[in-house]
Amino acid sequence: MAYNSFPYLCIFLPLCWVAWAVLPQRYRPAALLGGSLVFYWLTAGTYTVWLLLAAALTWALGLGLGRLQQLQEAALPGLDKPARKEAKHQFAALQRGMVTAGVIGLLGLLIWLKYLPFLVRTLNSALSLLPFAWQVAAPSFVQPLGLSFFTLMALSYLFDVRRGTTQPAEHYWQVLLYLSFWPHVVEGPFDRWAQISPALLNPPKPNYRAFTFGVQRILWGMMKKLIIADRANMYVKAVFDNWPSYSGSAVVVATLLYTLQLYAEFSGCMDMVLGAAECFGVPLAENFRQPFFASSVSEFWRRWHITLGAWLREYLFQPVIVSKPMMRFGKWCRTRFGAALGRSLPVWAGLLLTWLAIGLWHGAGWLYVVYGLYYFLLQWLGEVAEPTLLRLCPSLPRWRTRRWYKLWQALRTFVLVNFGMLLFRSNGTRAALEMLASLRRPYEGSLLIKLDAQDLWVLVIGALVLLAVDLLHERGIAIRESIARRPLPLRWAIYCGGMLAVMIFGAYGDNYDPAAFIYAQF
Amino acid sequence: MSLQTWQKNALRILAFLLVLLMLVMAAGHYLMPQSNRYLEGYTAGGILGEDFDTIDVLVLGDSNAAQGIAPMKWYDEHGITGYTYAAGWLSMYNIYYRIKQIYEEQSPKVVVLCTAPAYTKKSSETYMQSALGDIADELLPLLRFHDNWKYLTPQNLFTEKDYSWRDINKGYAPITDVAARPNTDYMYDTGASESIPLLVQFYMQRILQLCDEHGSEVLLVTVPAAVGWNLARHNGIAAFAEENGVPYLDFNMAEYNPGIDWMTDSSDGGTHLNWLGAQKVTEALGTYLLQNYALEDHRGQPGYDTWDSDAQSYRDQLPEIKERVSQNAGIV
Repeated sequence: MAYNSFPYLCIFLPLCWVAWAVLPQRYRPAALLGGSLVFYWLTAGTYTVWLLLAAALTWALGLGLGRLQQLQEAALPGLDKPARKEAKHQFAALQRGMVTAGVIGLLGLLIWLKYLPFLVRTLNSALSLLPFAWQVAAPSFVQPLGLSFFTLMALSYLFDVRRGTTQPAEHYWQVLLYLSFWPHVVEGPFDRWAQISPALLNPPKPNYRAFTFGVQRILWGMMKKLIIADRANMYVKAVFDNWPSYSGSAVVVATLLYTLQLYAEFSGCMDMVLGAAECFGVPLAENFRQPFFASSVSEFWRRWHITLGAWLREYLFQPVIVSKPMMRFGKWCRTRFGAALGRSLPVWAGLLLTWLAIGLWHGAGWLYVVYGLYYFLLQWLGEVAEPTLLRLCPSLPRWRTRRWYKLWQALRTFVLVNFGMLLFRSNGTRAALEMLASLRRPYEGSLLIKLDAQDLWVLVIGALVLLAVDLLHERGIAIRESIARRPLPLRWAIYCGGMLAVMIFGAYGDNYDPAAFIYAQF
Repeated sequence: MSLQTWQKNALRILAFLLVLLMLVMAAGHYLMPQSNRYLEGYTAGGILGEDFDTIDVLVLGDSNAAQGIAPMKWYDEHGITGYTYAAGWLSMYNIYYRIKQIYEEQSPKVVVLCTAPAYTKKSSETYMQSALGDIADELLPLLRFHDNWKYLTPQNLFTEKDYSWRDINKGYAPITDVAARPNTDYMYDTGASESIPLLVQFYMQRILQLCDEHGSEVLLVTVPAAVGWNLARHNGIAAFAEENGVPYLDFNMAEYNPGIDWMTDSSDGGTHLNWLGAQKVTEALGTYLLQNYALEDHRGQPGYDTWDSDAQSYRDQLPEIKERVSQNAGIV
């Protein structure tokens, strides 16, 4: 049941909201849990069992970690110093063991269901280089819906409980609700337990303003998905799936449209997700902040899929660079390569690992490894080249405050991101390289591929509207607040206009080929 | 009496939905095609151009019916007035709402309900999604005709729509392409029966009820299709027909086979019939209709002038169609 489907928007969501609103406050979490399980079951069927198991493991280990902390707090004050040190050591070992069990269990599930076929394929490729013919049978699994999302959320819960930054849930259903909450189970965002559990477990009263703001946000998401993303998909699919037939301008237009499609679709999905949660008074984390206003690729990734970057930064990058082996590595580097390079090398190693994780999170394949490496290289080159650039152009720091230079930086980032998008959408690294090479060959056919001129105009206007809205947000203007201050006839005209625009200009029906949500596959 | 806040808010939401619904209906009206020629796929929309109460046999179905049953042949040979209201992917839900509209202008004595729509749905959709989407399309014309904004101009936006166009083939699409299907053993017995999805069954029963209320007799027919039909589906429809006391003709079965030659009679390798196949099915169905229903010969009768003139146009196009299909089939 897709977030933009008729059954979801016109039946599931209204029914859940009414059930949630009419029930007494203490039963509202039950309405959310019931809705989440029905949603997951309707979408994933028997694969729901994986979600139930992951939630059970997470809950049990979280509870165990919490009990250990309580025991530790109760036991330590009565002990003398050496005994306290020893007890602390033992408690820490037990907690580490529990977190390790969680990581093995949850990541094991993720690797087994998502990455095992890729690992076996890679192993078989390596084995084929050997003189004997021995191959491992490649398994094939259907990945449970939202597996990557609920796994990382479960891990963040365990890490936070282990660090003592959050209290564990007392009941199984609470963790199950956190992981399965239908607005974020399919495409995120990666919400933290501490951030959303108050609203999930003690829901606020139904609020007209929250409801209408939520519906507006869903509508905006629908406009992005149906009018822009699904329309662009026609062109993108035609070119990328038949890439040998296209070159030059057709590939450029397809790449630009894919960037537009992915942005409109993923951020549109997030609008639908955050809007739905807002109707129920649950504040989910923002996942986008005007990414195309970024001045560098690293800033782009702090504005695009924000919660994934934040998750990896907090639970992978930072723990890795302060880990004992990395500290030792840093020390070794400083003695071998000097202070400056010695300090940088462990950070770069951590960055490399993080970018590889970002790449592989998007998919199990070498293409995604290359995708991660591409962004690592860009960031690394940016940092390495910085001192040289400053030497060559001493005015650079002054320029960086100027508007024209910021525009140049945004354009440069946009172009680099588009190369990344070409790589990301292509059917493999070889196809990506050949498509890049084909840019030199002029395309002599019509650029109206699968779309007519009116469709292209809708895309151009849609892109301009997106840009205008992002510009207003970048300047700190809250559009929904601004609309809410207008007189009722104007407000209704805007809402009705938006809904009619979705119904009229939406790329659905027999003439189009709407795509499933791209990030739902990850 | 003062209203509570939640009551005021609920009323505000209801008022908004009412305004939106009115706008959606109005926009749907303006986006309907300018001519009934483009109301539906193939030439189904032509039924609106027919004179009132002239159609005695109404054929309803999807693309298999549109390419498989040629009612003008019946008129030309026996004076039976028929119309094939059929289009690609037309579902039983669509058919239910369409037949309701057709009854506003026509009173068919026999309704031939083709059975392929009982099982067809797009692979990307579940049965529930397909049902909800199709029903929403019928209730809100804006959803069905939304893409027509491309054809709107300031000139035609407020001009009256012209729904008087008639199709000389009466909804049938004469396809002259030929694509053979060598393996034609598709009705082998696996002992299985594919039951009709529950919601589809429900709508089929509503169709039967509607026809009964309007005094039409229903006949279930399966047009030959080597791809997309099998004995399990036949058994599912046969069970439905028996349960509801409706006659059922499956032209895929040996006992009713009108002599389809899958090497020459299909336009696309067994999914749809071409003109040659349609002639055989139409002939066989026409004979059955003549034998089992009291259908009048309307040729030359007052009130059927348009049918007579369309029949002449129909006859005029036949030589060219025959020549093209014979060439494609390699028939000398």
